[in-house]
Amino acid sequence: MKKHESSKVQLINVVKSFGDNTVLHGIDLEIQAGSLTTLLGPSGCGKTTILRLIAGLELPTSGKVFLGDEDVSVLSASLRDVAMVFQSYALFPHMTVGQNVGYGLKMQGVGKEEREQHVKEALDSVGLDGFQPRYIDQMSGGQQQRVAVARALILEPKVMLFDEPLSNLDSKLRRQMREDIRRLQQELGVTSVYVTHDQDEALAVSDDVVVMKEGVIAQQGTPKELYLQPNTKFVATFMGDANILKGEVIVGGEKSLLRIDNVEIATDKPMSVDLINKTIEIAIRPEALSLIPADDNAIGLPCTIISKAYIGAAIEYSVKWNGQDLFLVSATGNQEFAIGETAKVLITPPGIAPIPD
Amino acid sequence: MTTTQREDTSLQNYTVSSVRMEFDKFIVPTVTIFILLLLFFFMLFPLWMILKLSFFEGGELALANFTLNNFKQYFTTAYTLRSLWHSLYVSGVTTVIVTVIIFFFAYALTRTTIANKTFFRNIIMMPLVAPSIVQALALIYLFGRNGLITSHFFQTDWNIYGATGIIVSEVLYCLPHAFVILFTTLSAVDIRLDEAAESLGASPFKVFTRITLPSAKYGIISAAALTFNLTITDFGNPVVIGGNYSVLATEIYAQVTNLYRFDLGATISIILLVPSLGAFMLNYYISRKSFAMISGAARPFIPPTRRLKKILYSVYCYIIAFSIILIFATVIIGSFVKVWPYDWSLTLAHYKFPSIGGYSALWTSLWISLIVGIVGSFVTLVAAYAMETRKPYFKQVVYFFSVMPAAIPGLVMGLGFILAFNKPYYWFYGTPWIVVINIVICNFTLGILSSVSNLKNIDPSIEEASISLGGDTISTFFKIIFPLSRVAFIQNFTYFFMRSMTTISAVIFLVSATVHLAAIEIIMLDNDGWTASANAMCTCIIVIVFVMLGILHLVNKWVSKTSGREVMIES
Repeated sequence: MKKHESSKVQLINVVKSFGDNTVLHGIDLEIQAGSLTTLLGPSGCGKTTILRLIAGLELPTSGKVFLGDEDVSVLSASLRDVAMVFQSYALFPHMTVGQNVGYGLKMQGVGKEEREQHVKEALDSVGLDGFQPRYIDQMSGGQQQRVAVARALILEPKVMLFDEPLSNLDSKLRRQMREDIRRLQQELGVTSVYVTHDQDEALAVSDDVVVMKEGVIAQQGTPKELYLQPNTKFVATFMGDANILKGEVIVGGEKSLLRIDNVEIATDKPMSVDLINKTIEIAIRPEALSLIPADDNAIGLPCTIISKAYIGAAIEYSVKWNGQDLFLVSATGNQEFAIGETAKVLITPPGIAPIPD
Repeated sequence: MTTTQREDTSLQNYTVSSVRMEFDKFIVPTVTIFILLLLFFFMLFPLWMILKLSFFEGGELALANFTLNNFKQYFTTAYTLRSLWHSLYVSGVTTVIVTVIIFFFAYALTRTTIANKTFFRNIIMMPLVAPSIVQALALIYLFGRNGLITSHFFQTDWNIYGATGIIVSEVLYCLPHAFVILFTTLSAVDIRLDEAAESLGASPFKVFTRITLPSAKYGIISAAALTFNLTITDFGNPVVIGGNYSVLATEIYAQVTNLYRFDLGATISIILLVPSLGAFMLNYYISRKSFAMISGAARPFIPPTRRLKKILYSVYCYIIAFSIILIFATVIIGSFVKVWPYDWSLTLAHYKFPSIGGYSALWTSLWISLIVGIVGSFVTLVAAYAMETRKPYFKQVVYFFSVMPAAIPGLVMGLGFILAFNKPYYWFYGTPWIVVINIVICNFTLGILSSVSNLKNIDPSIEEASISLGGDTISTFFKIIFPLSRVAFIQNFTYFFMRSMTTISAVIFLVSATVHLAAIEIIMLDNDGWTASANAMCTCIIVIVFVMLGILHLVNKWVSKTSGREVMIES
């Protein structure tokens, strides 16, 4: 299939309430044309509502929704140049695969022959050409998912929406499907918005991730930014494992210097000078921590090994420092420590983010 | 085909479809207003006419005309007042008997391992295929003045006419209705509760009174309320077997047809409306509650029943099934023998109907029922779709008025129809169309409730997918919703068809010199002394309904096979 003409999506101060229950509190969001942006957050955070607002299945209580330069805030879903892949796939069970995929074109009044040609192309792009006469219940879960994608992209929409598209698949298939979706999205260059509550999935497929919490955007950025530089404790703990340690700000300004116990850490993160000499929380990824023997000369946090788990490529340790449990991962092949043994924890960037609030 | 061409066509189509969408915006409001107007004009307006006639002198709406004289006259005349006490008495007794009988019957079918459960389930539903007059006809043949059992076997003068006859026939008529409710309740309540209690050392009696009964209490109350409502509003059985024992329903009919006292008929209708409305509201309120009790964990496996218990329950079920079969057998055999119970030689003479209607009444009933079936199931599906998936502004109002018809006795609605539409400018008055409208409205509630519950089973994102792919309301309905509702549509059709073939009370006032209906012919024939022909007419209705059930069964099988995809929700 040819490249789509895609457009950016913009939400301006969008509020959405259902009765007394406000699920979105003034969302400002810009999604770049041609990008794949993931809306990530725990259930009930409003991510699916944003998707449905873009699709036109819900209308905003206040605020505006733009597709490209067009204000579509109150435009009917049928008229938006947007296609959606539903969590349940929402395939029509009484129609064949071909009829499902061709439904949108039929609604537009496209003739039979032309429709069949397009159906063939769309199914081909998801590797299912030839399955046209089958019924939906004769397809496996993964195939149904592909049919749902083909049914959406046949309309050459300016924006594709994915509502937790992989949640009904088993974990092996999920990995393959997310790669397929990503490849297809890049080939077609279509702006895509992807909702998930699975952070691994979000990190793997996205150009941009929007983390949401209770109807507001907690942080937006590339997967790497969100993982390495979370702004809040919520983002830090939601995007993978994080140790939250208390530390002191020694130097503020453009760059900052932090101290935990007697370990000093330099970061690239700007820090208000008002925070100097104040105690703040610091999020540290397990990979930023490593163990060295207790008698090593390097400066580290003295600790005792509480538990260890061998997980193949690495060993996970739980250690106790100063009454606090720390979690860290050490590649197999590094020096091993036994449970009960004392050691020192070394802190090395990246993966260290001060979270002052 | 080139890409540019494709783009041109799609652009063009979008402009066309945006015009279509402007039109589309008006569809749901139009449907909603249409349904509301339908219910206002054909339900509230007739009811209003009844109220007006009973509370205002000459039915003229004016403050000076307001009067309670009609009610005073009713309550002070011993002759008319007794119909109220009679109604309350027979309905009360019937309610108790039906509830007890059906509770144990449903218990046997859900909680024991007796054999032939399918047989029992089919037999108990049989009364639905015949007008609520078949019981009375059969009982008269068995226990009447010349009854097979009373005068022939025992040569006694005792006969069943009066209160006893009404109660027995109403019991046999109400069994399936009460059964549906209690069967659902008892299948839904988790049987493991009983087992848990038993394993903790409770005696079987204690388990029954402390666990089984309380857990089914909503179903019991709901079944009782429904039975009471059905009995107090029934007309067919009491008019045939009641003799001089008048009840409210027969009294309304007598006042209107024999004495031309429309005002008193309207007044008694109001009096009948009070207890039937009360029973309906109780049932409605309770059944909403009891749905919450249905547990997903209810387990179909039933532990083996002790031998004695099993034998007792089997015998019990056979007795009930036999009673129902006996009723049908009596009417059917009675229609083929020369002179019941003296000359048993077979004859078809009773099928040469001596009345004006005769076979033409059967055909009229048949085509009216086909139209009622199609119109009723289609209108309720459209109304349910507009209400359920599109949630228009008046949803609650529409919903409220949609469940109202079930609360209004058919006889009252029928009387209201005459009062409201007996004007030369209502062209449909005196034609079969008023019968069609009346039956659709009278059965609107169940139609809409089952359509709504069917739509709730369809994954809402299926409809959203259609909208999002550019489908408008009408194509989404016909291409997606309707095909996915085919099985429910056939069920609704069956219900409307059966009700239309068998209803008496709703249409008794609407038959005229030109419109004859089979179910009403039964009463006319019986009234004129052609009892065997009344049985023959009854048999014809039963046969037609059974044939239709057979056809629908095949259609249903074919539909589910060809589509084969009634799995609505992907998981």
